[in-house]
Amino acid sequence: MPSSNPLPPKENALFKRILRCYEHKQYKNGLKFAKQILSNPKYSEHGETLAMKGLTLNCLGRKEEAYDHVRRGLRNDLRSHVCWHVYGLLQRSDKKYDEAIKCYRNALKWDKDNIQILRDLSLLQIQMRDLDGYKDTRYQLFMLRPTQRASWIGFAMSYHLLKDYEMALRILDTFRNSQMSCYDYEHSELLLYQNLVIQESGESEQALKHLDKYCDQICDKITVKETYGKLRLELEQFSEAEQVFKELLNLNPENTTYYARLAEAERHSSPEKTLEMLQRYQDLFPRALAPRRLQLNYATGETFKVLVDQYLRKGLHKGVPPLFVNLRSLYKDQHKVDTIKSLLLEYVEALKNHGHFSDSDKDLPREPASALLWTYYYLAQHYDHLGLTEKALKEIDAAIDHTPTLIELFVTKGRIYKHAGNVMEAYKWLDEAQGLDTADRYINSKCAKYMLRANLIKEAEETCGKFTREGVPAMENLNEMQCMWFQTEAARAYQRLGKYGEALKKCHEVDRHFSEIMEDQFDFHTYCMRKMTLRSYVGLLRLEDVLRSHPFYFKAAKCAIEVYLRLNDYPLPDPTQTQEIDTENLAPSELKKLRNKQRKQRRKAELERQQAAHAQEKREQHNKSRQQADPDLEQPTLDELIPEKLERSEDPLEQAVKFLQPLQELASDRIETHLMAFEIYFRKGRTLLMLQSIKRAHNLDANNPDLHSCLVRFLQHVAVNPLKGPVADVVKRQTTDIFSNYDAAQLNSDFLNKNSKSLPHLLQGARMLHLLDPSAQAKALSLASHVDGLDGVNLETCTRVLEALRNEDFGICEQAIADYTTQCEKRFPYATAFRPPESYTATTNHQALTTISDAVRE
Amino acid sequence: MADEDVNGDSDEVQQEKSQKKAAKYDSGAADLERVTDYAEEKEISSSDDFSCALTIIGDRRNKEAAEKIAKEKELLKVSIHKDDVDLIMKEMEISRSLAERTLREHRGDVVEALVTLTN
Repeated sequence: MPSSNPLPPKENALFKRILRCYEHKQYKNGLKFAKQILSNPKYSEHGETLAMKGLTLNCLGRKEEAYDHVRRGLRNDLRSHVCWHVYGLLQRSDKKYDEAIKCYRNALKWDKDNIQILRDLSLLQIQMRDLDGYKDTRYQLFMLRPTQRASWIGFAMSYHLLKDYEMALRILDTFRNSQMSCYDYEHSELLLYQNLVIQESGESEQALKHLDKYCDQICDKITVKETYGKLRLELEQFSEAEQVFKELLNLNPENTTYYARLAEAERHSSPEKTLEMLQRYQDLFPRALAPRRLQLNYATGETFKVLVDQYLRKGLHKGVPPLFVNLRSLYKDQHKVDTIKSLLLEYVEALKNHGHFSDSDKDLPREPASALLWTYYYLAQHYDHLGLTEKALKEIDAAIDHTPTLIELFVTKGRIYKHAGNVMEAYKWLDEAQGLDTADRYINSKCAKYMLRANLIKEAEETCGKFTREGVPAMENLNEMQCMWFQTEAARAYQRLGKYGEALKKCHEVDRHFSEIMEDQFDFHTYCMRKMTLRSYVGLLRLEDVLRSHPFYFKAAKCAIEVYLRLNDYPLPDPTQTQEIDTENLAPSELKKLRNKQRKQRRKAELERQQAAHAQEKREQHNKSRQQADPDLEQPTLDELIPEKLERSEDPLEQAVKFLQPLQELASDRIETHLMAFEIYFRKGRTLLMLQSIKRAHNLDANNPDLHSCLVRFLQHVAVNPLKGPVADVVKRQTTDIFSNYDAAQLNSDFLNKNSKSLPHLLQGARMLHLLDPSAQAKALSLASHVDGLDGVNLETCTRVLEALRNEDFGICEQAIADYTTQCEKRFPYATAFRPPESYTATTNHQALTTISDAVRE
Repeated sequence: MADEDVNGDSDEVQQEKSQKKAAKYDSGAADLERVTDYAEEKEISSSDDFSCALTIIGDRRNKEAAEKIAKEKELLKVSIHKDDVDLIMKEMEISRSLAERTLREHRGDVVEALVTLTN
């Protein structure tokens, strides 16, 4: 379709030069030519020229002018696909993909067979996962260019992603049959991709036939073998499968899944058979570690003792630091734990006496001196894992006495203190470890993490600063590098300190990293199709679909939701009103003191402001220099995250919902997701959404103690707000499976009776008892503050009880708190949480408490 | 002619850019970039199967489209009440289009629709 306003030859030539300049990134020249056209009064409002000028300006970073020109150009020539396309490109460069799709669609209205626009559109559609739209666009591209490889691949993939395997395979088949006979790596990848599609369609037999036919043409031999093994197992062709996995093990005797699959293929009737098989492989590959370690999983009794004895001796002789971590998964079995313990105690005794692992070895050469050290080290971790703090500390101190320069020992000592509930002491030992080798990045990070657990954010930043880029504040560099462990821990620390704005800032930063990772995907749509790495490409698409199921996102979202809930329950006061202090009723001396204090505060604030301004300046300089270095870096300007604004959000619950939604979609198997959802919707008074969260949580764990408090509050909510119409029907129908009793008080007492031996349940039951009937304070307190003879009495739960007591969940109960802390202090002598408040330095009890309980929980 | 060029040129630049970006994350890819040619542009020879496949694919598509339209029509036939839609939107905090769709899929039965949504 011709433009509605065609240019005469001379101007047209200039226009083409603009395009060429744009293509060659000679933006300045492009602008010059655009000016030449636009200075002609007859064409001063020429749409396409204005649009191109805008696009060029965009590349020079003049965003506002760019939008201005492109929009003006479009207004002047609404029937030009060029103008629409340019507008789409502009939106795309700003990551406004939805808008860009609309623009491309408009462009296609005026030029429906334009290949470039169709291609661009298909990229955006796959990015936005508009799979139906993608299929349609791919169909059009295919019809327009049936002789191009990419048309076929893209078309087939669009069906594959919609799970229409039959159609996808038909297209791939036809394509492969008509292809030039060129057996390169790309061809091999294509075959493997086709095989993947057949497998996903569930036709294992077909997949096997396909593999038989083409395995010669596939370069990735390992994948061929692995696929064979998988398919043979699926088709229950066990003897063939056995053969395949044997071959694979000959190639790599350290791959643990091969052993598992081989065991499956050999159809072992008992663990002894698997053990025999592993033994065979240990004889075959004496240097391989995997068969040795795997045997420990299957062996029991005396055999286990013999095997673990060998394994431990080997590790302790050689000095393998992660020996304990390697064996930790065996600790599920109490019998194995006892065996390991008795062996270790024997080693220590014998090593101390005569330098051998056991008395019967006396004639052999002595073990190296380090063997005793590593045994102490292992024992310390062993006791720590079992929660025996005192014994663990004794062992680790013995190890440190033996060799005072081994970093791992100090790390472990810190960890023991962390598990025992003393984050300050833990941090001190990590700092010690860090001091022993300041060039060790791992220790540096660990130390920073422990600092954050102890709420020492500034110190943590300084510690990390030893490894971040110079000249940039560490905090910013860590954000740039998407260092999410740091940011989630920092968010937690700020939350504990009550600096809610800062905490939210960190959470939002993490959220932005995830958005950024999603966006990075865009480049791969063209790249992977071009390189034929189709299997990895499909893998990438599927990963991005569930990206926010990552634990980092969960942690950040949880923190953000908790903070927003708190800000909803206790909104922050307006900062302008807090300063007004009643000065009239003060004695002159008091007044003087106050004035002095205020002056000091002002000075401090001024100093802080100056520092902030300085940092801001530095930041801008840094950004500028970065932009100069890389003009391509088209980062859309996101709103700056300002803590003060974040913590005074007008709709904290809506903000919380934003963090919640990805979790509901991707982490629906974690009960915490639904418990948090309940807390949000309870405050919003949305009956059916509360019901939804209860129902989902109930399906996961019907007897969860925290769910119980949701159930009781839900019944209360329904009692206070009588339901009517469809909502009432729905609630009635959906709750029959959940509530054994619709009377909240009765439900609660049933719950308490049923779980009378579990502390976490008793705590929630008691809380609800007090909520339903404040006069039952004494009973509630006695239920919650019992410690002896119950299940689930650990540091975490007891800290939660104390939190609840201090939070006045049971009303005011000073005496009960005092009694409870004395009781717990005896039980958990190393934990700081139960010590009298003056012995630790935190602003309020509540904050210090959460410190400990969080540290323990994680 | 000029119009054709615009799209061609601008898009290539964009593509180049994105390729460059992709390459940045993987320095090895940058070298690969130079040695491998554009698989995308490779042409394949046409054959008899080809046109045959094209027809099958075309038929299939038409059938699909017809089915889709029929389903949509079927859904549109269901009469729904605005009050019900509003209730669903408010209670479940979802968009109007999703609320309408769910309601239609449950033949206008608001309780059924809400039961599905709260599951």
